[in-house]
Amino acid sequence: MSDTPHGYHGRYLHVDLSTQRSVVRELPADVLQQHIGGSGLGTWLLQQHTPHEIDPLTPDSPLLFVFSPLIGSPLTTSAKFAVMAKSPLTQRINDSLSSSHFAIAGKKTGHDAIVITGHADSPACLIIEPESVRFESADDVWGLSSQQAANQIRIRLGKQFHIASIGPAGEHLVRYATISNDGRHAGRGGLGAVMGSKNLKAVAVTGDRLTTYAHSDELIAYSKDLSRKSFGPATAKYRELGTVSNLLTFNRLGTLPTRNFQQSEFAEAERLAPETMSVTHDRTRASCAACTIGCEHIFHVSPGDKGVRMEYENLFALGPLCGISHPDTVLCASALCDELGLDTISAGGTIAFAMECAERGLIDAPDLRFGNGDALLQTLHLLAHREGLGDLLAEGSRLASQQIGQGSEDFAPHVKGLELPGYEPRTLQTMALGFAVGTRGADHNRSGAYQVDFSDKVDRLLATPGDVTLAIETENEAALMDSLILCKFLRGVFDDRLAAMAEMLHLVTGWDIDVAELQETATRIVNAKKDYNIRQGWTPDEDTLPKRFLTQAIPNGESAGAALTEETLKRQIEAYNLARGWTPDGYIFDHESAS
Amino acid sequence: MSITVEFFGLARKRAGVASIEIDAHTIGTAFDVLESLLPKWADACLDDGHLKRSFLANVNSRTFVNDRNQPLQDGDHLLILAADVGG
Repeated sequence: MSDTPHGYHGRYLHVDLSTQRSVVRELPADVLQQHIGGSGLGTWLLQQHTPHEIDPLTPDSPLLFVFSPLIGSPLTTSAKFAVMAKSPLTQRINDSLSSSHFAIAGKKTGHDAIVITGHADSPACLIIEPESVRFESADDVWGLSSQQAANQIRIRLGKQFHIASIGPAGEHLVRYATISNDGRHAGRGGLGAVMGSKNLKAVAVTGDRLTTYAHSDELIAYSKDLSRKSFGPATAKYRELGTVSNLLTFNRLGTLPTRNFQQSEFAEAERLAPETMSVTHDRTRASCAACTIGCEHIFHVSPGDKGVRMEYENLFALGPLCGISHPDTVLCASALCDELGLDTISAGGTIAFAMECAERGLIDAPDLRFGNGDALLQTLHLLAHREGLGDLLAEGSRLASQQIGQGSEDFAPHVKGLELPGYEPRTLQTMALGFAVGTRGADHNRSGAYQVDFSDKVDRLLATPGDVTLAIETENEAALMDSLILCKFLRGVFDDRLAAMAEMLHLVTGWDIDVAELQETATRIVNAKKDYNIRQGWTPDEDTLPKRFLTQAIPNGESAGAALTEETLKRQIEAYNLARGWTPDGYIFDHESAS
Repeated sequence: MSITVEFFGLARKRAGVASIEIDAHTIGTAFDVLESLLPKWADACLDDGHLKRSFLANVNSRTFVNDRNQPLQDGDHLLILAADVGG
């Protein structure tokens, strides 16, 4: 295709598991320029392929693997891909990003995206190469962890293949199951359950199809400079301590969610801090594919074990949120989530919710108490296999609370069904807005509004309508970074992030794109996600926070008295909607043109 | 007047201490004092008397500050932390 832009193949692969047939479809150049790749292009493809108000766990619901023009280039952190589908946890759009060699190998199959629909008759492995799409039985690896399954499949197919696979949680349709690849995870929103519902254990990719670059020499020079900067002070925090270093900071600021958001400080935080664990535990470091930052910090429970990668989110969710202070328990719980294929934030959030229900006598689970590490580990096993109480908790905190009733809905820690990450919204009120309006639910990666709260631009304990434009800026920036796709840990490296993104796109694709045009693209992508949700049944009352956050002040500690009222949040949301150019309650005026 | 400076994350690692008590009446004078007491910290965290872009200052866990002239009160806690808190 002569009009295919540099950086792209200009086509995507559509595989139907039911018929075991596949077709290659063209991606028009204007669609690529308007949506870039990753999350943006994936949203456009989802709009084309998702029937209205479909159950995401039925065969016609599409599962997408989406690449980007930057994948395969020498730009650091660009080996990322997006997995997208309608979420079984939220019933809304979901895009989860992951970094691994799967991204590079997937793009080398000669496609900018892979769309999977249908349902295999028996457990299957989908194998994609440039000139062939084939299926093999996955009977022998069904029931294995994603890593074990990937290892076996790779032995069978050869080392040139890279594998994305699900674990037992995906097989059992746990609504927050992950898709794992090379030890990394597309974590949020239950895309592993979508894959499991299709009887698809694994996708294996390899290829040799390369894309061209518009300005190769300049791209190489730019990439070298970016790599050099990425190894500088702006990323030293990630390299030397990792995101786990947030723990003590958040605790000191009284914004560390604790015991299912009943408190915002954890008295035993010091035990779990990386500063402590680096002394008490062996620690090693690693990097994602094609990354020069090196943010992975792997802690070992015992010398010689394979260790577990710790981030702030799994530390907070499986630690303070569940009242757990023993480092080994948190490490084991994190490793178990990896093995079973569970999103750590939703797993921790749902179990913390269940712990509070049990302590209040709303469910009969005598051992499920805050601080009980054995109960945490046992519950992870139960829910991944949907056994006993685990069957209820596999549904996530929203659906579980609807079944438990008795007022538990008020403290189920979710927005649109997605459990909150480790940012206490009453003490970070710009982030509270970001959580409430987020198209994939409560999320810190699609809205970076916490950056605004951690600045001198706002009073983080006192939201005002003037703050919404700052929240929107972070949302737009995330939409672009997730479409290019680049690691957000690079943010501090750039003097002008949008200008840098425009430059990278120019060097790869040749497009003369300026910052204003990039802003338009960000708005288009955000609008498209909202449009998708509206078509899937979104209503304005979804854009809110659980009642606990709007009726109870922080009871004690550094943030004692911090409160966010329903009236304040509604005022923020209306200001946000108007600033987005939508109706006051959040509908897009020209609903049809957003698709 | 006496204030307590608390360091978090990379700032703590560079300072080599979790906290220190100093005399300072503004953010600027606090940084100047810290520069003389903790030169390694200053090398890593200060640029021409201001915090580098990758660090933040907060007073009493409430207000983020970016102005050297910001006054400090006796007993204040000045928190120095990493600017990028995502992850």
